[in-house]
Amino acid sequence: MDSLIKDPGRKTPPPQKAVGGFHGRYLRVDLESGRQRALPLPESVLRRHLGGIGLGAWLLYREAPPGVEPLSPGAPLIFAFSPLAGTALTTSAKFAIVGRSPLTGYISDGLSSSHFAIAGKALGFDALVFIGRAARPSIWHSGRLLATDLWGASTTETRRALESRGRVACIGPAGENGVRFASISNDGRHAGRGGLGAVMGSKLLKAIVLDGESTTPVADPEEVARLARDLAQRSRGDATAKYRELGTTANLNTFNRLAILPTRNFQQSRFEGAERLGGEAGSSLLRTERRACASCTIGCEHRYRSSEKNPRQNDIPGAATTGSGIRIEYESLFALGPLCGIDDPERVLAAAQRCDELGLDTISCGATIAFAMECGERGWLAEGPDFGDAEALLGLIEEIAERRGLGDLLAEGSRRAAQRIGHDAPRIAPHVKGLELPGYEPRAMQAMALGLAVSTRGADHNKSGAYEADFSEFVDRRRGNATSVRLAIESEDRAALLDSLILCKFLRGAFDDLYRDTAALLAAVTGWQIGGDELREIARRNIALRKAYNIREGWKSEEDALPPRFHEAPLELGPSRGARLPRERLNEMIRLYNRFRGWTDAGYLPGDLLRELELGEEYGDPT
Amino acid sequence: MDATGIVLCGGHSSRMGRAKAWLPWRGNPLLSHVVEILCEVLDEVLVVAAPDQEIPEVGVRVVEDREPGLGPLAGIREGLAAASTTLAFVTAVDAPLLTPAFVSAMLARRRSAAISVDGYLQTLAAVYPTSAAERAEALLAAGRRRPRDLLESITFESLAPDSLPDPQAIRGFNTPDEYLAAVRGEEPGATAKLEFMGAARLAVGRRDFEVPVGTLAELLSEIPSEKPLLEGDRIARPFIASLEGRSFVRDARIPIGMGEQVILLDASAGG
Repeated sequence: MDSLIKDPGRKTPPPQKAVGGFHGRYLRVDLESGRQRALPLPESVLRRHLGGIGLGAWLLYREAPPGVEPLSPGAPLIFAFSPLAGTALTTSAKFAIVGRSPLTGYISDGLSSSHFAIAGKALGFDALVFIGRAARPSIWHSGRLLATDLWGASTTETRRALESRGRVACIGPAGENGVRFASISNDGRHAGRGGLGAVMGSKLLKAIVLDGESTTPVADPEEVARLARDLAQRSRGDATAKYRELGTTANLNTFNRLAILPTRNFQQSRFEGAERLGGEAGSSLLRTERRACASCTIGCEHRYRSSEKNPRQNDIPGAATTGSGIRIEYESLFALGPLCGIDDPERVLAAAQRCDELGLDTISCGATIAFAMECGERGWLAEGPDFGDAEALLGLIEEIAERRGLGDLLAEGSRRAAQRIGHDAPRIAPHVKGLELPGYEPRAMQAMALGLAVSTRGADHNKSGAYEADFSEFVDRRRGNATSVRLAIESEDRAALLDSLILCKFLRGAFDDLYRDTAALLAAVTGWQIGGDELREIARRNIALRKAYNIREGWKSEEDALPPRFHEAPLELGPSRGARLPRERLNEMIRLYNRFRGWTDAGYLPGDLLRELELGEEYGDPT
Repeated sequence: MDATGIVLCGGHSSRMGRAKAWLPWRGNPLLSHVVEILCEVLDEVLVVAAPDQEIPEVGVRVVEDREPGLGPLAGIREGLAAASTTLAFVTAVDAPLLTPAFVSAMLARRRSAAISVDGYLQTLAAVYPTSAAERAEALLAAGRRRPRDLLESITFESLAPDSLPDPQAIRGFNTPDEYLAAVRGEEPGATAKLEFMGAARLAVGRRDFEVPVGTLAELLSEIPSEKPLLEGDRIARPFIASLEGRSFVRDARIPIGMGEQVILLDASAGG
């Protein structure tokens, strides 16, 4: 490989003196001109937004020209690190990837984790911002832009080719080919939602390789070590037992029992093949191994292979034939299994594996294929596959990544595909703002329905954990009300805080008081005198900031909505039988959500609130 | 019979700890059972429920109680106003021993009537004229919320229990002990089913157990488990219990009736 940058970034200004946990600067890399520039991050900004999705949103607002097309050279791709990363605090090895989503046109702020986060922080910057478009397929290796012949390689091939140089984040063929739900992969993990892999591909940036060696001082090393020991101890308790012992795949059977498991493109909420896929004793998913991210004492990553005998196993692309099996989470399992009407564990695992190799978001991929299956069933899509056709699923995954045949249409995501298919397809396209829905039936989980509808990222279960409210004694999950709204907001605030610190959400149950306890962690790392109330304010601010970005990019109130199908027929099966979500009820919940947040009833940000949140006039007052 | 049956089910059921409408009774939710009894003798039966209150499927008209916080008189007002007949038999949902004969006898007098037991009027097993809806409205406006005030403001017949067939029909239950005693009296070997999902299943090593009816705490205390299922009177974190997959509870003092299914699952299911 040749260096495309003759002066490879070693001359960037040294870090300015900063508070513990931060470097106080970020690096802007122009892939077109080769220019790299370190820019200061004032302490006031870091204290107002922290790192991760907060810092990422702040940078996106500044670095992205208004109206920039997501796949154009001017669109920034931001890797934002965090104050806690690099410390011994469990689950802190995480980072955010932020940009304008080619799927939604709005902010996409995903997380990923493990060694890449630590290596990134050790580069000496709090964030990396990539703009422009390289002249040819390239990798960026800690300041050097190098031509690469890895274009076309899978994510695993790319990682293996580059891992001797450092920690790798890369795209697969899907990102190269502009699939609107392409993911970015690192350390076997994936930032999947929102299609930022396509943004990376549009820059001809195949991979980022990091081998930084700088350290980030913390204010009180002894206290950090003490808190880390305490947190590690908590992380081994009952609050995280499910993730350690079973992994998220255990949701499948539970959701099926409660009749909230989206099935056949949300036409039903129970799947007759769930027991076969469920990841628990008696299913055909055999747990082979458990792994953990770097700096994590939970170890939620479970790997599986099918226990069913299949003489043709070697003919299935992506099938686990040997070794440690395939990693799969509930969201991938639901989207590639029940949502497509498929109960063949071997092929569902293979589908997940191929999505990971090709660099595809499993939720959007499965949901878009399930949508195509229903369009086929209804006679709206002549070449539409059938529900339950596992071979078609596997074939379409390849076609989507390569953008050929029907895959070229589906690579656009369900919203755009529906517009082109016509008929009544937009009514059944399973998305919010263009992002496909995760595995929660909104009609029977109405706090979650609200969270999905109002999320700035589109239908997203990581930004709103309102399913916790639906699984509580405080609300009736089938009849959302003002209490559901309050609890959905609390859940969204907690997620925004954890995503800014950053700590894993699987740790959330291990805290007695999330805000107070994490303030103690942040104080020990940064040296700030900071309390829980200030963290609550930061969470609110970062949520408002994301909204401000979307408003700037043309968001309209009517986009906070669910697909029409969810307001039509009630559910028919099991404990969800008869569950309805009238549009008027959801609209009222959205109105209350906006009001409780201090936004206008229509969801805009009043000037006095912007001032209260210290967001400044530059965020506008569209009211 | 030209009269309307009105079932009030919008109460808080605070002493019972869970909605009485859903308590299992003779194979059905209690509300369904009471509605079925009334339907045997009446052409029109109405259920009065709080707004957004989830109730079992009953196949009859459900009238919304606009002010459930005002107590049963507000519910009676709604039911009387919605009825299409001149007389109405009003009952609370916790009337498991109600019989068609009792209802028929009460209505046979063709006038408002209530049973008096030791000087106490049984206002929620009584006959009211539907024209009394306006009077109920006026009483509520004046801050008077007792159904007895309504009865006493109109002409009614006070009946002795032994003047009617099945006088036990007025017996209800307000506490878990009362309900469970009634269930055990009906079916001495009555059982319920405990199902375990996820980490809870790992802890107990089985998918489900058939156990004698009792409070949820009594049921769970019988299950051998590697992890605590109870913290005092509450479900131990990180678990939560679901009644039939429909509602979720942590308070383990609630009664679990015959044939009922309780699911113990991870409260963190989802993430």
